[in-house]
Amino acid sequence: MAIAVFFVAAALAVAGGIGVVTFRQPIRSVLSLVVVMLALSVEFLLLSAQFIFVAQLIVYAGAVMVLFLFVIALLGPARETGRGRLRFQAALSGLFVLALLGLLWSMLQGIQYRQPDQGTDLSTFGTVQSIGIGLFTKFLYPFELTSLLLLVAAIGAIYLSRKEGDDR
Amino acid sequence: MSGIYNDPIGHWVVVVLAIALLLFVVLTATAYTVWFERVALGHIQRRPGPNRVGPYGLLQLAADGIKLAFKESFVPAKTEKLLYVVAPTIAVAAAFLSWAVIPIGLWYNVQYWIADINIGILLIFGLSSLNVYAIFLGGYASENKFSLLGGLRSAAQLISYELALGLALVPTFMIVGSLRLRDIVEYTVTWGPYHGPIPLILLTPIGFVVYIIAAVAETNRAPFDLPEAEQELIGGFLTEYSGLKFVMYYLAEYVNMITVAALAALLFFGGWYLWFVPPILAFLLKVVLFLFLYIWLRGTFPRLRYDMLMRLGWKVLLPLAIVNVVVTGVILVATQG
Repeated sequence: MAIAVFFVAAALAVAGGIGVVTFRQPIRSVLSLVVVMLALSVEFLLLSAQFIFVAQLIVYAGAVMVLFLFVIALLGPARETGRGRLRFQAALSGLFVLALLGLLWSMLQGIQYRQPDQGTDLSTFGTVQSIGIGLFTKFLYPFELTSLLLLVAAIGAIYLSRKEGDDR
Repeated sequence: MSGIYNDPIGHWVVVVLAIALLLFVVLTATAYTVWFERVALGHIQRRPGPNRVGPYGLLQLAADGIKLAFKESFVPAKTEKLLYVVAPTIAVAAAFLSWAVIPIGLWYNVQYWIADINIGILLIFGLSSLNVYAIFLGGYASENKFSLLGGLRSAAQLISYELALGLALVPTFMIVGSLRLRDIVEYTVTWGPYHGPIPLILLTPIGFVVYIIAAVAETNRAPFDLPEAEQELIGGFLTEYSGLKFVMYYLAEYVNMITVAALAALLFFGGWYLWFVPPILAFLLKVVLFLFLYIWLRGTFPRLRYDMLMRLGWKVLLPLAIVNVVVTGVILVATQG
């Protein structure tokens, strides 16, 4: 059962990924990306990462992609289409794919599967509680630094969106 | 019973039956919510409301349903066909899926649910955020300025109020220490001689106020029904929809209303606990009262202007919800150490 769900979600994710790069209308690309996000969330759920599953659903599918849609819809009814292809695009993409596959292959060489450590409580794995405890004890400083970074980015965005001489 | 449940095939049979039963109940409830709304609005506006089809107009909904189902399912020529058809189905799917995690108290210590997961309420948030796509895509695919503007407005509205809605519930989770809806309902306190469940509104009254306002905005109901403000946008994202596709949006709106009412009852008013009233009746009573609140609001308040809506969401509800979280945290630390 889980295997079947995995393959259906994986196929959807790959199809969505292909859709993102092949559709000529931006809105279709964005919707394909939404499909990728939803399929990925299912994969997270299969890995028992229930919190990441919901976060993926709420944050990526529910907020980030909606903002993408917003921008595209505001660009107007004149459908943005690409301005022709780069001349070396096909050869270049082939090169990048080869490099990426090489990286993946070398990464997977050293992989070893192992049992969870003895005495680990697996019943709380991936729950909101265990992630919260992790974030506020072991990973407190990275977590707080990331939130600082996000705050800086938000302030920067507000500053940049101000008009010249707008002193409100 | 548990024997059937532990058997893999029996398990599926039980789950499928449970889903079918729940679908039937929610659909029927939706139909009678529409009837209830029309009658209540009628009385608020000093007119009789539907009273021709069947006793008290109770069969009006059947008549409307048949009419809408047999209407020509018209697809305007210049629409994005695929998105135009898919958008209403997203609305219906998201609306019904929420009911998978909502527990219903049937009797003392007997509850009905399809999935009792420990991220229940978060899943409902996730599904309600998918609702944005239904409305936005409906507006976009219609290839119509008014529809597009309606869709855009609603996307902005839903995203803005989602934040306040989520933060309004955080104090509840902090007090209970669980995201599972059943745990929240069963939260018990020992106050002097009293030991038992309490309505959590006593502990987070501000959370409840923010929740109920944000929830009305999330379901696009009056006075926050800006996506379909007819003076400005004709029918908003619904303009080009007719027949069964219109019914799907309509259905989703009412199912969402019932979901929000049920959540309010579960999260803030002790769900199926009410003095000596039998659980199922107590639960129904609370849900119906919240539905009436919705209708009452619609009959009372004029629609907000768009800038007022945004100001309310970002400058009033969101800060209030954040302060509520901080204050609740301080009180919890002070009382529990």
